[in-house]
Amino acid sequence: MIVPIGPVHPGLKEPLRLKLETQGEQVLKAEIDYGYVHRGIEKIMEGKTWQKCIYLSERICGICSYEHTQSFAEVLELMAGEVVPPRAQFLRVIVNELDRIQSHYLANSTYFKSLDHEMLFMKVLELREYAMDSLELISGNRVNMGWNVVGGVRMDADDGHFKQILDNLKFIEDNHQRIVDLFSEGPVIGLRSKGVGLMTREEALKGRAVGPIGRASGLKHDCREFHHTYKDYFDFKPIWRKEGDNYARTMNRFDEIPQSIDLIRQAIENIPEGDIRKPIEIKTGYYDWRNEAPRGEVRYMCETNGNLIKNISIRTPSITNIDSCAKYMLPGVPTIADAIATYASSDPCIACAERVQITDKALKTVEIKDMY
Amino acid sequence: MLNRLKDIVRKTSINVCIINCGGCNGCDVELVACLSPRYDLEQYGIYLQNNPRDADILLLTGAVTEQWEDKLRRIYAKTPEPKVVLAVGNCPQSGDVFAQEGGRVNAPASNYIPVDAAVSGCPPRPSEIISAVLKVAPGAMVAKSQANREIKDDD
Repeated sequence: MIVPIGPVHPGLKEPLRLKLETQGEQVLKAEIDYGYVHRGIEKIMEGKTWQKCIYLSERICGICSYEHTQSFAEVLELMAGEVVPPRAQFLRVIVNELDRIQSHYLANSTYFKSLDHEMLFMKVLELREYAMDSLELISGNRVNMGWNVVGGVRMDADDGHFKQILDNLKFIEDNHQRIVDLFSEGPVIGLRSKGVGLMTREEALKGRAVGPIGRASGLKHDCREFHHTYKDYFDFKPIWRKEGDNYARTMNRFDEIPQSIDLIRQAIENIPEGDIRKPIEIKTGYYDWRNEAPRGEVRYMCETNGNLIKNISIRTPSITNIDSCAKYMLPGVPTIADAIATYASSDPCIACAERVQITDKALKTVEIKDMY
Repeated sequence: MLNRLKDIVRKTSINVCIINCGGCNGCDVELVACLSPRYDLEQYGIYLQNNPRDADILLLTGAVTEQWEDKLRRIYAKTPEPKVVLAVGNCPQSGDVFAQEGGRVNAPASNYIPVDAAVSGCPPRPSEIISAVLKVAPGAMVAKSQANREIKDDD
């Protein structure tokens, strides 16, 4: 029997169609239809200056909107062969890690919602609000911040901001462990998570899984290891697990939150004085740059023409994660309720994943394809 | 008598359904934040019921993409009367940054289904969304149900 789920469905938060081929309740095969959120951002960006494009790159994804502006700014800075002033680099690290905390909490809360565990869903969202407060304090807005520019950041922060952020982080840290214990030691929620939606390391490599989903299957890959700011100034080691099931993916995201808090503390302690912005001349050329978004590796490939952007291609982490979810995690899941939970555990963000739409003018057909 | 009772119940128990018809996800995140204990949408009697067949209010986010053009009308037809459509964010009103040359969106959403009210912002804050829902929704639901009743009486 084929069970279609979506595009509007109580279990999904974004439009997407899941086709599950089932025998009884067991899922044999899964198929995913994209294309409901394709807006054509890459096409709009062509032939515009970076001042117009950076707002578009922010609106690729609302959850990890910060990381997209940073990658966009860094690809143009590194193309010109320059690095922003150290104070701007530290401020970028602080906001990046705050964004990671709220994104991981949101991903885990949707996973608990799909398991129908209302209490953990509420508890996790309550903690997330403290990270959102800190983001609003430092950047001026909750979701789409418009805080990064090519050459630095738009606003400086002072000791009063840092003190408030440290207080918020203290509250998150005090309550974080209790929620993790509720999840990891609870018998029902643990039983429904352990051993469900298995993906081995080889399968993760084949499906090109990135971010916490890949790291939970034993792929020790984190782009922050190669980033110049983290390499020069910070003490950082990627967190990874071996199991590769729903439990490991959720725990991996939970474990990265104290690490992000530690990175923010390091940044606030050692932040240097100086400028937050410097003028950068956009060069003609091509550059590609990878960065670690909350969901994994995001890659910007950009070609410029002096002042204007000639061509840009953006590879977001969600597309590979959703694909490896459909190919390797969903087949073999015991029930349909678990299939929705497995899908939610792969942290899907459909707004990121829509990229290419091919229109055949002669045949008047429209085909939507995912591009890597 | 029965109709008055229905109106009172309609004012205090509202089921909403979120329809993301092609946005950046930011408004959906803020709608999820409305459920969090700090804002707590459920204390006003508003429940998230992501099923158009059970919903009273459709919360519309996102500029309308090509795939949604016909599906939006179908979802609107499936929602039972009286229904209210509330557009959240700039996208359903104007298309926001996507309504440029090269963008594949067909905003505004009012070309396809009647939109009763709108909240501006990219994205609006959760407190703004809640105040908009509370201000518009209960009155509009009762007014619509009364209008429907008058049409029925004429028949």
